[in-house]
Amino acid sequence: MVETSTAVLATAAVSARGVARSFGSVHAVVDATLEVQPGTVTALIGPNGCGKTTLMLMLAGLLRPDSGEIRVAGADPRHDAAAVRDAIGWMPDQLGSWDNLTCLQTLTLMGRGFRLHAHEARERGAALLAMVHLDEFADRPTRVLSRGQKQRLSIARALMNDPAVLLMDEPANGLDPRSRVELRTLVRELAAAGKAVLVSSHVLAELDEMVDDAVFMSKGRTLGDEIAAKVADARTRYRIGTLDDALLHRVLAEARVPFDDEPTGAVIRVGSEEEAAQALAWLMAKGVPVHRFGPAGSALEQTYMTMEEERR
Amino acid sequence: MTVLDDSPAAAPQPAPASSRRPAKGNPWHPTVRGTLLVTQIELLRRRPTVKGWIFYGLLLAAILGLGVLLAVVSGDEKSSTPMELVLVLVLGAGMLIAPSLAATSINGDSSEGVLAPLQMTRLTAGDLAFGKLLASWLIAFAVLLTMTPFLVYAFTRSGWHVGELIVVIGVILLVVLTSTAIGLAWSSLAARAVASVSLAHLTTGALLLGTLLAFVFTQPLVSETVTDQSRYIDYEALTDEQREAYDTWDWSEVDPSTLPCRAPDDPYEYGVPHTERTAWLLLANPVVLIGESSPIISFETWEEDGRAAPGLFAEMHRWVSDSRVGPSESDLAGEQWDECAMLVADQNGEVYNGGGGDWEAEQEANSVYPRAPWIGLGVQGVLLAGAMWIVVARLRVPYTKLRQGTRVA
Repeated sequence: MVETSTAVLATAAVSARGVARSFGSVHAVVDATLEVQPGTVTALIGPNGCGKTTLMLMLAGLLRPDSGEIRVAGADPRHDAAAVRDAIGWMPDQLGSWDNLTCLQTLTLMGRGFRLHAHEARERGAALLAMVHLDEFADRPTRVLSRGQKQRLSIARALMNDPAVLLMDEPANGLDPRSRVELRTLVRELAAAGKAVLVSSHVLAELDEMVDDAVFMSKGRTLGDEIAAKVADARTRYRIGTLDDALLHRVLAEARVPFDDEPTGAVIRVGSEEEAAQALAWLMAKGVPVHRFGPAGSALEQTYMTMEEERR
Repeated sequence: MTVLDDSPAAAPQPAPASSRRPAKGNPWHPTVRGTLLVTQIELLRRRPTVKGWIFYGLLLAAILGLGVLLAVVSGDEKSSTPMELVLVLVLGAGMLIAPSLAATSINGDSSEGVLAPLQMTRLTAGDLAFGKLLASWLIAFAVLLTMTPFLVYAFTRSGWHVGELIVVIGVILLVVLTSTAIGLAWSSLAARAVASVSLAHLTTGALLLGTLLAFVFTQPLVSETVTDQSRYIDYEALTDEQREAYDTWDWSEVDPSTLPCRAPDDPYEYGVPHTERTAWLLLANPVVLIGESSPIISFETWEEDGRAAPGLFAEMHRWVSDSRVGPSESDLAGEQWDECAMLVADQNGEVYNGGGGDWEAEQEANSVYPRAPWIGLGVQGVLLAGAMWIVVARLRVPYTKLRQGTRVA
């Protein structure tokens, strides 16, 4: 897998600039710009119907953009669509499987569709099934799988061609908590192996733990720098819970520390984890009875909520 | 951004896939390997369950038994009827089954979400199109195989030669292949399975009935108006003696050739269709195509030729040939029945043949008129190529247009 990452060189594995696509009078994607670097995980976040899936389909080379430039692994889907599709592991939002074929058959046939030799496709399929913990279902038809298991089969299917780029549309949908943690670990490992991962999800707390970068989308547009600033700002917010809120507010006001007044406690901004440790020590020294001190929830979720407000 | 330490370890990732060569451009043409892979996938997906195999076995056993029974019970004189019935049945069943299988193959996969993952592989649009075509056709073929016992029985009584049977079976399989392609094309065009299945069957119906109806309804457009030239006894001008003889048909006193004769004042006019201009409509019909691919049975010499008596197909060939030849000169000259001449002939003990051409000779000539399967084969070929062109075009990604009201999947 390291070989594939060197092939991508220094350029972004996925880049899109000014991409637009409409279906008749519906402008699904108006202006989308994003980059995914090899070895990183990028989140694509936005409300339902904002054009995430359409954008992903265009990146995957399944849908032709009306305008704009797309490069995937250095290839232009307009001219080298086969190379683009070959470089991509695509996990669609729709879970489809051939319901009377076994899991291993499914992966083997997919692998042969990628022109792997039969025995190699079989071995790779078996190894991927083990990786997503479906090996006990290898010889059972896919119709017996639960939703979450199908989701995992879909992940294995997306990896059959050892792609340099992984596009995952709502991969955490329907997964149980353990599988979500495993998905997170897997995605980080794939990124560490040099793959570029673009993942869309509504489970924002989940993404917080997983992604290096986030692209927000609203009404068909990707939101630029101001939203990135908001994410950065949200990451600095720490929530303080005390037994005596009045004392906390007085101490912060006296020291001229800006803070957000909350129903319980307060939220302050700290530059780094070291700064957070210092702030806590300082509060304790001032005699504030702190019982909770930590990041104020998911940065992505907070940003998403402010974006939603803007939308209204 | 930290990975939780207590997260369960994922199993080690498999080694990279190595046995592949890079892709270039955006090829769409079918490859042998890709087509066979798609065929394999489709056949695996549609493979019968245990119950299905049992049903298929029982059906086969029943047909086999019936075939044997028929062969034992029936006499051994030659007859073309069983052969014609079996061939029409095979054609009809094939034209029903194959499009039904194919017509849900693309839009059904799409709504199940199993089409796009295949399109994301190195398989081309051509691979998918021809793989699906081949799979549906093979399944229809497997169903038609159950008819084999009937076919063998019918063949033994038909007086056909093996080569002739093989040609006709080949033509039937081509027609079934074309029907499959038409089903696939509708499946790639219509968003919903209900629509594509009905449209596929409507297309089959248009080929089977539409061509006949079109042939019938276009006849007024190619008709030539001719005037009835018949002559009758002028009853008003008869003398009493002549009238007496005419009414009682007693010609002992009166010579029939002396009777006054006249043509009507307002002669009847009627249209004679130039069917030779529209006969291609008939030839485009699949059933006519099968008939035109079958051996010619002479109305006159079938016994010496070692054939069964002329049956349905021979009659159809004669009718189609009539249409291809079109009206004869005497047809176009108008009806020339002459009552006076008839009376004279009758009196002299001769047979009056109506003044027109020799109808029986015409029938016999047309029964051995050369066969014309080429228009029908051409129509099938054009439909096959056109349908597959549509399917490939609709399966090519990146999509520029989507089926109305669908998503990519």
